[in-house]
Amino acid sequence: MIRKILLGLLLSVAGSSFGQAELYKVVDGYKVDENTMKGFRTWRAAACDRCHGANQEGLVGPSLVNSMKTLTKEEFVITVRDGRLQKGMQSFGTSPQVMENMDHLYAYLKGRSDGAIKRARVEPIQ
Amino acid sequence: MRIARHFHRPAWLCVSSALLALPGLALANADVEKNIANSKNWATQAGDMYNQRYSKLDQIKTSNVGKMQVAWTFSTGVLRGHEGSPLVIDGRMYLHSPFPNKVFAIDLDTQKILWKYEPKQDPAVIPQMCCDTVNRGLAYAEGKVILQQADSMLVALDAQSGKVIWSTKNGDPKLGAVNTNAPHVFKDKVITGISGGEWGVRGFIAAYNLSDGKLAWKGYSVGPDAEMLIDPAKTMTWTDGKLAAVGADSSLKTWKGDQWKIGGGTTWGWYSYDKALNLMYYGTGNPSTWNPAQRPGDNKWSMTIFARDVDTGMAKWVYQMTPYDEWDFDGINEMILADIDVKGKPTKALVHFDRNGFGYTMDRTNGTLLVAEKFDPAVNWATHVDMKTGRPQTVARYSTAKNGPDVNSKGICPAALGSKDQQPASFDPNTKLFYVPTNHVCMDYEPFKVEYTAGQPYVGATLSMFPAPGSHGGMGNYITWNAGTGKIVQSKAEKFSVWSGSLSTAGGLSCYGTLEGYLKCVDAKDINKELFKFKTPSGIIGNVFTYEHKGKQYIGVFSGIGGWAGIGMAAGLEKDTDGLGAVGGYRELNQYTELGGSLTVFALPN
Repeated sequence: MIRKILLGLLLSVAGSSFGQAELYKVVDGYKVDENTMKGFRTWRAAACDRCHGANQEGLVGPSLVNSMKTLTKEEFVITVRDGRLQKGMQSFGTSPQVMENMDHLYAYLKGRSDGAIKRARVEPIQ
Repeated sequence: MRIARHFHRPAWLCVSSALLALPGLALANADVEKNIANSKNWATQAGDMYNQRYSKLDQIKTSNVGKMQVAWTFSTGVLRGHEGSPLVIDGRMYLHSPFPNKVFAIDLDTQKILWKYEPKQDPAVIPQMCCDTVNRGLAYAEGKVILQQADSMLVALDAQSGKVIWSTKNGDPKLGAVNTNAPHVFKDKVITGISGGEWGVRGFIAAYNLSDGKLAWKGYSVGPDAEMLIDPAKTMTWTDGKLAAVGADSSLKTWKGDQWKIGGGTTWGWYSYDKALNLMYYGTGNPSTWNPAQRPGDNKWSMTIFARDVDTGMAKWVYQMTPYDEWDFDGINEMILADIDVKGKPTKALVHFDRNGFGYTMDRTNGTLLVAEKFDPAVNWATHVDMKTGRPQTVARYSTAKNGPDVNSKGICPAALGSKDQQPASFDPNTKLFYVPTNHVCMDYEPFKVEYTAGQPYVGATLSMFPAPGSHGGMGNYITWNAGTGKIVQSKAEKFSVWSGSLSTAGGLSCYGTLEGYLKCVDAKDINKELFKFKTPSGIIGNVFTYEHKGKQYIGVFSGIGGWAGIGMAAGLEKDTDGLGAVGGYRELNQYTELGGSLTVFALPN
């Protein structure tokens, strides 16, 4: 168990490779901190999976596992807030849940893209 | 508050004025009838008003279809999913495209474009469209080509010039009320519906005057009786082994609080019309949200077969197939009208293959439930339909309501895209059988609580889809169905869902397209006999149609992968790391096809 937690901590360090405060905590590949859980719940409530796939692998919209490797935080926020209408990405600017949880959504998706969060359906760290 | 804007329509005023105009002879629409009667045309999306998708043309037949060749092709210049089919009227073809909803008129002598229309639409509607930016085609009547744009604008174009004659706004796209359905002309009305069940849109069917585009009537799927154009004393439904009036507040009583105001029941399928009865038929979609815990009750009249008087819009009868939906078994699939023997008795029947996996046969004159049987043996969410109550007998372990929010209910068959989705079936009056393109897909479904925000998605469930376990491993079947007995006659396995509308012809053929991109024609008497197969440029989700020009019969189909089944094709599919759903199954599609819309037309060699 201790080894698993250590692994989780190592991965969360990987997730904060820019030297910022750590983005997310993950244990056993699917247990995450409270804020990252909020990110997941936002992902689900905003029905992002309808276009990006239940596992962020891409459907009519691009794979976020890929996109999040190159998208900056700023670009991410602009894209989610304003959409990319021509490409079919809607604006979530009027969604209180998305706007209030932008950082958490980013953390969750970054964790998925980094490979630290190993499945889309996460659970809280007990 | 924004929802309130739906209600100020004086529905009763429209009805009472329409009632004063006493109908004379039952006329479907003389021009449309004339165009349908000429079997050289493909005058409506289904070839007729009964939704039979049957052609009397017989030049191409079982004995020679194997020699069929490509006669000509046409690119629409649009990449997304191409549903529906072109129309052919008197030597001209009218084609539509997905968003941006281009319309082309083509001279069949030269295949030259006579005119082209491309509306300007706010790109904000693109993301509002669930399941790809499809459009299911045009209607034609009295020199007008009718286009139902994505942004909800209903437009009549001059068939000679392509110029706009009238246009009218059918919904509010800012709230997710957009359109994918084909408009239908019955009598002097253009009938259209609305999409947006995943945006909390309250569904309705609307009739506009063909002459000037003004609203004649509008009947909601849910809500107060007057707004649904339901007469509590006269609108009938199958209850307790007999037909009975629905009674007052039949919808309101089945919703908690105001949930009906964002309650779905959208209407994006294919409609049919029986002129002798002056009734039109269609189905309503899923209740919103997909999380059943948030909307206890039967949620009437979502998931319902409606029969409405075309003049007034008044509902003659209703039948709810899936009360209290827990699976997104959106009930919009087409109603096929056919006069057949049902359990040995000649019957004016309505036959419907629902997303929920049951094939229904109703007496279309009055709404009596006659047959309700599974048309895919994989269906497991219900054991059967109780013929007395008309209600499906659900299985507890597949009940996403009983299992509750945040619990993943596993192995439900069919998946949300249904044992059949919008891809329309055909009826062959010679074999008396229905030819049904089906899905053979199951799902895991996890509902969760979701808040409504106007103009934002309102879904409330995550699901993953996979081929029906313990079967042939494919995700589709092409079947023949006896609607009089409720039995599958033959079943032809397909690797992917059959998402293409089928065509039956007097040449003894039954033709359909596949997601890999094959147009297939099989022997109507033995569908396992594949007589013709040709690989078109992209996966087929369009409907097969036929016409005759200068003494030659042609069979055509749109190809252009997309739609719900094909959305996995559109972009960067990743290697699946964990329990992947539909994409896992459909992912293989990219070994066969890419995006790209075009029409392929076949004929026999000279």
